[in-house]
Amino acid sequence: MALDVDRDALVLGLRDELGDAVLDAVVVAGVDVWVRVDRRAWVQAAEACRDRLGLRYFCFLSAIDWLPSPFGRAEGQGVDLSRLAGAETVPMEQGAVETVPMEQGVAGGETRFQLLARLSSPTTQLGLTLKADVPDDDLRVDTWSGVYAGADWHERETAEMYGIEFVGHPHPAHIYLPGDFEGYPLRKDFPLVARLVKPWPGIVDVEAMPGEPVEEVADVAADGTEASA
Amino acid sequence: MGLVESGKIPKPLTHLLNLSRKYSLWVYQWGLACCAIEMGAAFGSPRYDVMRLGVIPLPASPRQADLVVISGTVTDKMAPAIRRLYEQMPDPKYVISMGSCANCGGPYWDSYSVTKGVDQIIPVDVYVPGCPPRPEALLEGIVLLQQRIGSEDMAARWRGDGDSAERWRGGPVVVD
Amino acid sequence: MSTVSERQQQAYVAGVAADARINVELETEGMTLNLGPQHPATHGTLRIVVRLEGEQVVEAEPVMGYMHRGYEKLVEVRSYPQINTLVNRIDWLGSFANEVPFILAAERLMDVEAPPRAQWIRTLFFELSRIANLSLFLGDLGVQLGAITPVFYAFRDREHVLNLIESATGGRFHPNFDRIGGLKEDLPRGFVDEARAAMGKLRDFCDELETLLFGNEIFERRTRGIGVIPAEVALGYGLSGANLRASGVDWDLRRDQPSPLAWSEIDWKVWTHPDGDSFARCWVRLQETREATFMVEQLLDGLPSGPIMAKVPRIVKVPTGEAWVSTENPLGEMGYYVVSKGDTGPFRVKIRSASFNNISVLPWVLRGVYVADVITIISSMYFILGDVDR
Repeated sequence: MALDVDRDALVLGLRDELGDAVLDAVVVAGVDVWVRVDRRAWVQAAEACRDRLGLRYFCFLSAIDWLPSPFGRAEGQGVDLSRLAGAETVPMEQGAVETVPMEQGVAGGETRFQLLARLSSPTTQLGLTLKADVPDDDLRVDTWSGVYAGADWHERETAEMYGIEFVGHPHPAHIYLPGDFEGYPLRKDFPLVARLVKPWPGIVDVEAMPGEPVEEVADVAADGTEASA
Repeated sequence: MGLVESGKIPKPLTHLLNLSRKYSLWVYQWGLACCAIEMGAAFGSPRYDVMRLGVIPLPASPRQADLVVISGTVTDKMAPAIRRLYEQMPDPKYVISMGSCANCGGPYWDSYSVTKGVDQIIPVDVYVPGCPPRPEALLEGIVLLQQRIGSEDMAARWRGDGDSAERWRGGPVVVD
Repeated sequence: MSTVSERQQQAYVAGVAADARINVELETEGMTLNLGPQHPATHGTLRIVVRLEGEQVVEAEPVMGYMHRGYEKLVEVRSYPQINTLVNRIDWLGSFANEVPFILAAERLMDVEAPPRAQWIRTLFFELSRIANLSLFLGDLGVQLGAITPVFYAFRDREHVLNLIESATGGRFHPNFDRIGGLKEDLPRGFVDEARAAMGKLRDFCDELETLLFGNEIFERRTRGIGVIPAEVALGYGLSGANLRASGVDWDLRRDQPSPLAWSEIDWKVWTHPDGDSFARCWVRLQETREATFMVEQLLDGLPSGPIMAKVPRIVKVPTGEAWVSTENPLGEMGYYVVSKGDTGPFRVKIRSASFNNISVLPWVLRGVYVADVITIISSMYFILGDVDR
């Protein structure tokens, strides 16, 4: 494994400041570095990044919902009711998508919702991706707006899209959605209703260009799997 | 009750009034998204000049406009503003829906925040498809609208017969 | 070394103080003014609610979401080629630049590299989209400050670039030309000569605009010293692109970040300005437009030959992983954080758009300025609503 001294130094600096709060760290040499911290040390991690590691540039802050979509990729293929969050176990409907376990990505994770943030340094050109687990029963994290002024709006967007509350935020209010919007759109169990009503037909018969022979186009289903000839 | 509303105008005069109306349209550009740039190119650039058709793209407010071109994606948050804009325009007024987002929701047909077509809010006279439609396509839409205005039955319009599309002798026009 | 003279600064401060005295004497009440959502100066559907004390802004709050189309939800149900089409429409003036970071992230996850000719042509179109984007900025800049003429020149000269893009890709903007592993097809015959001629015309446009607009005393008085953003504040808010470089931060992702595109192979300059005011932001963008024309000419001279597309399966399935790629788009730093689970489409894409951060500084910078300066500042910040709202 190639050694990436600078990125390793970032991880070491964070471990030094936060100690046990650094739950996992992944360094891909020459490419990027991911660190997962405990959400109770979320603000402390930001301060460490800004003051000690020199990552003064605030790139973005958002979240990931790791629940595999109960509506399947094409959102029209049939609903796996057992995966709708909070639903009791219900036998799968016929033709429903097969159950896929919930799996977090790089630097692990234990919960459905994970905060995702990126900070960089304008001088050393290094960037760091921070993640933090947010438990389902306590969707609250401290706000970063005291550390990075730009986090203000990003947290508003994350709050309205996922329903995560940022404690201490100066002005939590909807930023994109109309005031009376119900639901949290970016959660996986929020369906795209237009697709449920009229599912995407997948790749339809393709007409040949004028002058070209009509070629046999393989029958491709909506989720991209090619049917056997 | 005036002569126009009661339909007692002789045909040549109707023709003259329609002619003067179709060649003196003031367009309110309701540019929302990418189509606004093509609309700007059609209306403001020297190449696709729209003033040669008699259409002036510079009204100071919607209350002084005859025609509104809705170009770009209509979101649910924006919809009340569009309705209010339409109601502010004085009659006779025409609407051109430009671009596939305004026609039917376009590439965002499945979004949770997009209105699937501006004709859900206001009646549309001409649909100009494209993503974005070329400036020439928009100009063709305006020319077709002008042809429709030329053959318009003003008495029926003042009586309020039905929807804007039904007021025409035929359905809405789709530019190919 | 600031070019805002002492006398001008003192005059501004004295004016503000005099205003404050008058407000107290006349006991003017605060007034709430609503700029937008349909306003010629706001580049689209942005609404700014300002509370005024007389002519001065006490508090400004941008209200967004009028162009929110839900990109991050839509990409979860689409495949990569479909997302490529959709992503064009985020920054709708320089559309090709939106596709590039997304395609690069997918290529990183797939461990595929496009051949050199494709990378050079990608860089070429990237810079062409920068010219298309910024030339409209320069035109609009005039309109917002009261000078109507530049916008007609901008639309006329922009047509040259749009012709080029259309001849190669079929679309004036929204080219949808980038593919995972390369490009859709090669350049048409005659493209290189046409492009050289167009670059000459665009340089003339830049020169014309410099004398017409930037040499104008009214423009200088309206923009110098207005809306100063210090570098540390800019970094904290995440400002990027010309906004950051106009505050003196020498940072350009094209030069500073390793990228498979061809920026390291050509010779070009990063423009910065120490002042951080509106004039600096506009000036930096003018220089960047001109610099981009020089870059395009170098790219045309050095285009390598070879294949245009790497070997990639027809139905693209990207392996599991996460990747973050950002590039120096015309509006600033645009990046995509792609989370993939081995499917034909991504699991989650976080789209980091430059204009969202660029506007987040408005409540801070608009405090205490006059209403007329509000327009100057937002026109110099330069954002596109598709980029803000996604």
